[in-house]
Amino acid sequence: MRKDLERIGIPGEHEARERSWSVVRAAYAQREPQPRRRSWKPVAAVALALVVVAGLLSPPGRAVLDELREVVGVETAQPALFSLPAPGRLLVTADSGAWVVEEDGSKRRLGNYREASWSPFGRFIVATRQNELVALTPDGEVRWSLARPGVRFPRWGGTDTDTRIAYLSNGELRVVGGDGKGDRLLDSRPAERAPLWRTGSAHVLIYQRRDGSIRVVDVDTGAQLERKVPETFLSRVDLRLANNLLGAGNFAQPVRSPDDRWLAVGWPEADQLVFVRVTGGRQLRAVANLSEQFRSRSFPTINGWCCAP
Amino acid sequence: MAAGRDERASVRAAQRGSASGIEALFRLHWPRAYRAAFLVVHDAAAAEDIAQEAFLAAVRNLDRFDRGRPFGPWLHRIVVNRAIDWTRARRLRGEAELLDMVAAPEQPGSLDGSLLGALAALPPEHRAVIVLRHLLEYTPGEIAELLGLPRGTVNSRLRRGLDSLKEHV
Repeated sequence: MRKDLERIGIPGEHEARERSWSVVRAAYAQREPQPRRRSWKPVAAVALALVVVAGLLSPPGRAVLDELREVVGVETAQPALFSLPAPGRLLVTADSGAWVVEEDGSKRRLGNYREASWSPFGRFIVATRQNELVALTPDGEVRWSLARPGVRFPRWGGTDTDTRIAYLSNGELRVVGGDGKGDRLLDSRPAERAPLWRTGSAHVLIYQRRDGSIRVVDVDTGAQLERKVPETFLSRVDLRLANNLLGAGNFAQPVRSPDDRWLAVGWPEADQLVFVRVTGGRQLRAVANLSEQFRSRSFPTINGWCCAP
Repeated sequence: MAAGRDERASVRAAQRGSASGIEALFRLHWPRAYRAAFLVVHDAAAAEDIAQEAFLAAVRNLDRFDRGRPFGPWLHRIVVNRAIDWTRARRLRGEAELLDMVAAPEQPGSLDGSLLGALAALPPEHRAVIVLRHLLEYTPGEIAELLGLPRGTVNSRLRRGLDSLKEHV
């Protein structure tokens, strides 16, 4: 049967191969080699050494570095994501697709999507494939889809009764209604960066243009608004907070729990997800082997922590 | 064994920045990745996109790739899962019937046409299992692992698929 399958003629196979090779070769030429994932052993050794030194230095220093040792995961990192420390659900994307993680740690794969984002109240998810924008329920049921080329950075904003989705398609910023209708171009020269909806608004969108300028616009009228740009858009405040709490590290952009008490911080080099309590006394919880848990070769992205069901 | 060594050497070379390493991987794996995608989606342009995207994913994740593991299964999993998803999406959008974009067979009723037609009549999930088993030559256990399916489901899809195709092979 293999021979039969190999004998099936495919039109333009040679041309397709050469076209693909030119794209792959260009992508390879542009890639910036990164250091391979660090082994835990040297990190753990450094952490333990620091603990010893800190212990000799001062009690407060020892406390801080004990926590670092805890985060490093040598002794206490959980081997799997058994539960979330706060109510809500995590949205995760990995090589294997998009996943929803429930508060009890159970995971559901939604499908082979590259990026995903919650709707404002967590009732829906907007996700992307290379040439498709898809709205689906947290159970994975597709509500509608829109064929658009090169879809990236979908963001869903709005109120209980009126929502819109902003996204980039082939380098253009577009907006579509939460029901998949009324898709339109908003800006032909946005920066390759996720836009941000003003909290509680389906009309006011904040985004950056390729020239570096930041725009706050009413997407219905196109009018530019004179409003203060939120710091969350200008500077990664939660990332700074995570760095303050965990120490310098190459952390991924954190997400906040719905009750604002916890940050979930991805730590790619350690292949860990770290939960950090930011109010009411610091607590840390580390979960190891994140890539394996989401069947991914690259480190998964934590896209959002939304809304108790 | 030698092929496995060659592949590992190519991965290592590509990780070190050698364009010849990535080209060797591409030339070795693209034809079957493309064919596998085509046999699931039955659309040459979509198969080209799917195989290309799989290689771009490989380039993006090259530095994290574990050289102790074979490259092929990792690539094939991406290809086949994307092909299934693409076919489901097309079905949802109610686009044109399958085989529209397949070139006319050289002769009416030739092997290509009849086998391809019989494959097209199967659900995409069944096509994927047939392709993994009979084109890429994975065992049912490996297919179960690649697609995240119970082994019994793989076996039943294989049986039903072969029943439908047996007149054409």
